[in-house]
Amino acid sequence: MRSNTYTFLFTGVVCIGCSFFVSLSAVGLRSRQEVNMKVDVQRNILRSVELPASADERPTPPQIQRLFSDRMTGIVVDTKGALVAGRTPQDVDPEKEPDLLPVFLRKDDGKIAAYTIPVSGKGLWSTLYGYLALEPDGITVKGLTYYKHGETPGLGGEVEKPWFGANFKGKQILDDKGALRPLAVAKGKVADSVPEGERGHYVDGISGATLTGTGVTAMLAKTLTKYEPFFKEVRAGKVEGLR
Amino acid sequence: MIQMAAAPAPQTPPKPAAQPKPRLRLLSGADKRTFMDPLSDNNPITRQVLGICSALAVTTQVRTAVVMAIAVTVVTGLSSLVISVMRNAIPSKIRIIVQLSVIASLVIVADQVLKAFVFDISRQLSVFVGLIITNCILMGRAEGFAMQNPPWRSFLDGIGNGFGYSLILIIIGAFREVLGSGTLLGFHVVPKALYAAGYANMGLMVLAPGAFILLGLLVWAQRAHTGYAEES
Repeated sequence: MRSNTYTFLFTGVVCIGCSFFVSLSAVGLRSRQEVNMKVDVQRNILRSVELPASADERPTPPQIQRLFSDRMTGIVVDTKGALVAGRTPQDVDPEKEPDLLPVFLRKDDGKIAAYTIPVSGKGLWSTLYGYLALEPDGITVKGLTYYKHGETPGLGGEVEKPWFGANFKGKQILDDKGALRPLAVAKGKVADSVPEGERGHYVDGISGATLTGTGVTAMLAKTLTKYEPFFKEVRAGKVEGLR
Repeated sequence: MIQMAAAPAPQTPPKPAAQPKPRLRLLSGADKRTFMDPLSDNNPITRQVLGICSALAVTTQVRTAVVMAIAVTVVTGLSSLVISVMRNAIPSKIRIIVQLSVIASLVIVADQVLKAFVFDISRQLSVFVGLIITNCILMGRAEGFAMQNPPWRSFLDGIGNGFGYSLILIIIGAFREVLGSGTLLGFHVVPKALYAAGYANMGLMVLAPGAFILLGLLVWAQRAHTGYAEES
């Protein structure tokens, strides 16, 4: 039997030794990880606007960076929908400046082919981060992708799978009268839970992850309401000339 | 999740009966057995039924299974080595928590390395890299072997158990990917003509029950082969 002093001493040495190696790896690899995360966000933005066109294609990180700088333009608008000059999405901190709204434009030969905006909000366990893309008409959804979340793999974690995002494609965010009607995630299949006339505004939920779906509904409503003045401008055709 | 190895693990392999000529070899007979045993006869998954949780979770594709297998093998090898080096200095009252600290640190380092070098796969593995900490194989080898054996042999034992785990993971991963998605390592292997003839991917294989069924079949096949039976 060893003395208590020895035990405490040994514990201390083990703790210091372990924490040394853990911090060494965390600090030493941070810059690489940050590059990876940046590329991952870019990949996600590109995927929301269907670049590259086929989901089976897996571009390498340098290809993603090139594609992003070639095809995407970042602008910042305010809550009234007006362009904020001299700012880029990269230097907006959404925590400190909630009234500055970043938008990425996909340009094909100088013409705007899609708008994509960041969406984030609480799911069940975690905050979900993703991008929602709209067609140039400012009404039709082009895609929804998530890149960061801490939901249960196989349940809420399904939000990042292509099938979930594909549910949203082609749906419209306006009702018959032209007022904003953000899309909602149904509980289970739309056909089972939503009355006939309403189905256009709903998408299939994930079974076993109703609360994550509720979170997605809430964050879409929040984000689209904030961006509505901007998309009104888009629908009025006032945005096309933006640089 | 944490439970000690229920099945008897060889604590100290018997010394080789006779060594005619002392030759300089990397692996002595006993070392070799320490290393080879966990691959089949004493496989951590099929014989000791440890580490099932991650074996089910990360085997929908071969790629993720391979990366997970490498991570677990490296961590079991190194944790057994480190614990064996310290084994005479560890106060027995706190040995489990010391083992856990070593394992947890190694797993965090492995997770950081994966995030830095194979970000994509690390995203797919999500929480399961972190859960290597609670993988019973690691604690089982640390407490059951490394605490009593010298560093080199403990390292071999760790690596051997890692390989045993890897073997099963990759077999299950291959079956699940081919049957469930029609691909292997991301390449399409099921010919288009077959789909045209009405073949469909087996959705069950992508889900956890598919892995359970495959694992059960593997355990059965392996036990039929080695003749091992649980004592009643």
